[in-house]
Amino acid sequence: MQETGENERYRRQAAVVGEGGQAALARARIVIAGAGGLGSAIALYCAAAGIGQIRIVDCDTVEVSNLNRQILYRTGDVGAEKVTAAAEDLRALNPGVEVEPVRTRITAGSAASLVEGVDLVLDALDNFAARYALAHAAWQRGIPFIHGAVHGLYGQATTIIPGRSPCLRCIVPAPPPDGATPILGVTTGVIGSIQATEAIKCITGRGTLLTGRVLFWDGVRADVEILPIQGDPACPDCGGADR
Amino acid sequence: MSGDGAVTNGTESGITVTVKSFATFREVMETQLVLQLPGGATVQTLLAELTARYSGLGGMLFAAPGRLRDYVNILKNGRNVHFLAGLDTPLDDGDVIALFPPLAGG
Repeated sequence: MQETGENERYRRQAAVVGEGGQAALARARIVIAGAGGLGSAIALYCAAAGIGQIRIVDCDTVEVSNLNRQILYRTGDVGAEKVTAAAEDLRALNPGVEVEPVRTRITAGSAASLVEGVDLVLDALDNFAARYALAHAAWQRGIPFIHGAVHGLYGQATTIIPGRSPCLRCIVPAPPPDGATPILGVTTGVIGSIQATEAIKCITGRGTLLTGRVLFWDGVRADVEILPIQGDPACPDCGGADR
Repeated sequence: MSGDGAVTNGTESGITVTVKSFATFREVMETQLVLQLPGGATVQTLLAELTARYSGLGGMLFAAPGRLRDYVNILKNGRNVHFLAGLDTPLDDGDVIALFPPLAGG
């Protein structure tokens, strides 16, 4: 485990989050669901920031077509289990962080165990079936869920806090069709970095979270817009919570 | 069409709504526009106006004539019309309507 203030590693960010904030990061336990494009940006920044325990979940192996955006991996990792390669990379970046690689598919059956014992869930998935399962498991346990998704040069992100914001089903009532999504790597970098920012703010208690609001990134026009969004008053989970 | 003048439709006054588009809808329409619609207009009235203006939008919005693709999100002042009256949701003067398809990639 880390000891905050022990070295130079966090000197520049301690000025931002404070000693207490850094200690909170060191104590925090998160799960990053998906070790792809979003997961790469999230995991690297969360490990670099000193988040103490990171569980990273994915069922795939590294393919050469991943490398335009999945910056956790190098060409030599092609064929390796993503979570194994990711854990090695994250430990090399910050040996003070405890990384737990979990190679499994996220389903309604596995979601509950994957969020067990964590303070925060980061959605770095590529399909809504898994997102709904994980978001529901997190909501039932009162665990914040930080959503992100991308397409081409466009991205969206929102932070879901049970009891304080609409749930994922209310924000996205029906899933878009599955299929290979065109993605420019930098778009996952932008949205993954926003998700990591939300995680750090959530843990350290700084700033205003993206609760009840969806951030839309438009890389074509270099435009960001944040849209307030309310839930379904009849939703069995959140009842349209938008406080 | 934008402006501040009232439009009459029979005996009813017109309404002005602001439409905002996001993500891939921006590939076929403007990011924001102000429209005048007849009094009594619904979401369906608005979409008819928009699909007449922007070729390519109809196929992104509708699975079949009159049947919205279920994943298309239309928010009226932040409330998804899925939770209101769908295409029959009435529009009011000053409404802000947001259109977006959810993104899924990661």
